[in-house]
Amino acid sequence: MDRALKALLERKLGPSLEGPVRQRQDQTEIRIRPGDLPQVMRTLHDEHDLRFEYLADLAGVDTGTTFQVVYHLWSEVTPDWLRVIADGIPRDEPRLPSLTFLWKGAEWMEREAYDMFGLVFEGNRDLRRIYLPDDFVSFPLRKDFHLADDVARSPGGGVRPMERTGAPKDADETTLRRTSPGA
Amino acid sequence: MALTRPPAGGPPPGEPGSRLPVPATNADDAMAEAIVVPNALWTPADAEAYGGVPVDEASTLALRRYDETGEGRRNDARWGALDVVPTKADIILDLIRLNSLMPLLSGLACCAIEMMSTATSRNDMDRWGMFPFRASPRQADVLIVAGTLTTKMADPLVRLWEEMPEPKWCVAMGDCTCSGGRYKRSYSTIQGIDRVLPVDVYIPGCPPRPEGLIYGMMKLQQLIRERRGHWPERKIGPTVPEGI
Amino acid sequence: MTTPTRPSLDDPALTIPVDHAGIFEPIPLARTERQQEFYALKDGELLINMGPQHPSTHGVLRVVLKINGEKVVDLDPVLGYLHRGVEKLCENADYHQVISHVDPLEYIASLFNEWGAVLSFEKLLDLEVPRRAEYIRVLSAELNRVASHMLYLGFFALDLGGITPILWSFAERDEIMEMLAALTGQKLLFNYFRIGGVNGDLNHEFMSRLGDWMGRAGAQLEAGMGLLNENEIFVRRARGMGVIDRETALRMCVTGPNLRASGVPFDLRRAHPYSVYPELDFDVPTRSEGDSLARFLLRVDEVRQSLRIIDQCLHQMPDGPVSARLPRLLRPRPGRAFSSVEAPRGQCSTYVISDGTDQPFRMRIHDPSFLHLQLMGLLMPGNLLPDTMAIMASLDPVMGGVDK
Repeated sequence: MDRALKALLERKLGPSLEGPVRQRQDQTEIRIRPGDLPQVMRTLHDEHDLRFEYLADLAGVDTGTTFQVVYHLWSEVTPDWLRVIADGIPRDEPRLPSLTFLWKGAEWMEREAYDMFGLVFEGNRDLRRIYLPDDFVSFPLRKDFHLADDVARSPGGGVRPMERTGAPKDADETTLRRTSPGA
Repeated sequence: MALTRPPAGGPPPGEPGSRLPVPATNADDAMAEAIVVPNALWTPADAEAYGGVPVDEASTLALRRYDETGEGRRNDARWGALDVVPTKADIILDLIRLNSLMPLLSGLACCAIEMMSTATSRNDMDRWGMFPFRASPRQADVLIVAGTLTTKMADPLVRLWEEMPEPKWCVAMGDCTCSGGRYKRSYSTIQGIDRVLPVDVYIPGCPPRPEGLIYGMMKLQQLIRERRGHWPERKIGPTVPEGI
Repeated sequence: MTTPTRPSLDDPALTIPVDHAGIFEPIPLARTERQQEFYALKDGELLINMGPQHPSTHGVLRVVLKINGEKVVDLDPVLGYLHRGVEKLCENADYHQVISHVDPLEYIASLFNEWGAVLSFEKLLDLEVPRRAEYIRVLSAELNRVASHMLYLGFFALDLGGITPILWSFAERDEIMEMLAALTGQKLLFNYFRIGGVNGDLNHEFMSRLGDWMGRAGAQLEAGMGLLNENEIFVRRARGMGVIDRETALRMCVTGPNLRASGVPFDLRRAHPYSVYPELDFDVPTRSEGDSLARFLLRVDEVRQSLRIIDQCLHQMPDGPVSARLPRLLRPRPGRAFSSVEAPRGQCSTYVISDGTDQPFRMRIHDPSFLHLQLMGLLMPGNLLPDTMAIMASLDPVMGGVDK
């Protein structure tokens, strides 16, 4: 738990931070608006006393009401992992800026987030599905996509004729299962 | 605590009104009493998961009803009236084929590592003539589907199967290919390759040990020998009836 | 972008006519910039599909190559042929069940997937693991690392055409797998780590097999490496191929031995230590050339370091319980945890969000090989077609992890 890091982040990123800098065990967490992403990431990457040059993970999260994208960064100057949560992406317009200008490796991670959630990263030159077939219509990791006991009954399945085993056509109700109090 | 046990009373399994299904057995050739182990250890947190608790008769007894029709127990060596005594040439052809099965190099996932382990020195598949894994489907005999089959991969795999010339056999290696295995509820896997390919031998396990794969291949050899070289009309496509 | 409505199985717009399905996969409509750039063929260029089934042993990866003669001009990897929906399945499983769900991701080194998951759950719960359990974890994981690197060396040689090294390395690997089977009960997808420890103590069969193997391991490794290090064909085909420099490696988020072979001495066991690695004495091999030969030699060095670690674990093994006692139904309080372990292929990290119920709200697993396949687009162009697979083999991808 790096207290100095907390002070440093508050000084450098003050206006962009939404909420306090939280720390627990070996992780430091900040929340920002999705529009501020390029500038915040550029600051974290370039500043000499921050030097978060290493992007470890880019994850999409569906909290049930909104989307979040969570980035994990590592730097040589601090022993903590830095978690940047871009919070409050609306469900009906899930667009946010891409980080491919800084880390080319983020391109495929953003493709995966698009594939699983439908998040559109503006600036990603290659935003298409990466895991699922191109004619898949749903976004599986969203909370309103339910796993069925038989994939032919699930909303995205059954599109490709291989999986049409003649299972019953009634699908589940479109309800959100639960929201997360902690996300 | 959500751990619950089913009520101790109630009708025994199999009777109408009981909540526990009985594994399907045909009364004629039942060799032993069915061993029923009720799942009393855990119930899911979400009551609607896994088809709902208590068990729904339509989904769990469908397999039993299918078994009662006897459709799955057809004699596969179906020559009917033309039950010809095999000639020596047929026997020799069978022996040639079964002693030099050439699998297609089609490992998909973890079971492929076990297949490779079976093919290398310690558990040598070459002892039975199965070693050269052919990369081209035109040169292969056996399609050992080793690993999870996903909907995206199903098209290429069935195409590979169609490109293999007769005689050809298909071996489902691993739980994922037998029935979907641990990915039974997944949105992108095929729940058992017998939905898309005609399977000759099923080898369960996750992954099956090399000895298991060898046993399965020897069963396949026995099958080739017993079928006497006849290839009845192959139903290429889903062989699992509706509702299962 | 509107949320798509639930598709109906009867919708004619969604139906692919059965007689057309599977006949051929048309070139996709070039919708993104990169696709337009890729599918615009110049004079003399040819698109070749190296399909999901191919003689290389890495799994179901499809690469669409654009070649001009024998030289590769550009390539477009198509993933997803092994996408099993693990993250969604984890959201519908208990915390204890998640451990067996993440096993088959990087199936060659499955203990590391489990370790990542278990570490993040222990961070969620603020759970302390008994020291004996930590040492057993390190011991079994380093054995798994040795086995995984053995496999890598065999596959690398196989993709370059040599068949003997893979037979030798599989023999070594099978011995380690039998050892781990005596310990965990399984040869490949171990399901051995538990939240708060491991499942079962060391036993006599494991220790006797381990003792036998340790006696010969060093010598067999050197003999196997002698086949390749001193082989002119191998060295000339691997040296100078697929060079990754330091800036490219950091920009592409490369991790693990591929990063260390490019000159960045970043090893999570030293940079962000977890478990009992601070008490163990080992070096972090680093090389600066960044080519395939450097990646190969680096992994050989890592095997030597792993043997050192295994030796120290055996000597320093403390007594005590091997697992913390936890309830069957685990409900951590709401929160988030991130953990990262140094898997043989790179950094395997896990991010878990808990919402207070007994199932994780979001379980995100980041596998190392996923980003290494992105490197292909940078490394392959300019090389000859046979070197394509050789370079990919040197990056050591495992499609189970890439496709999740």
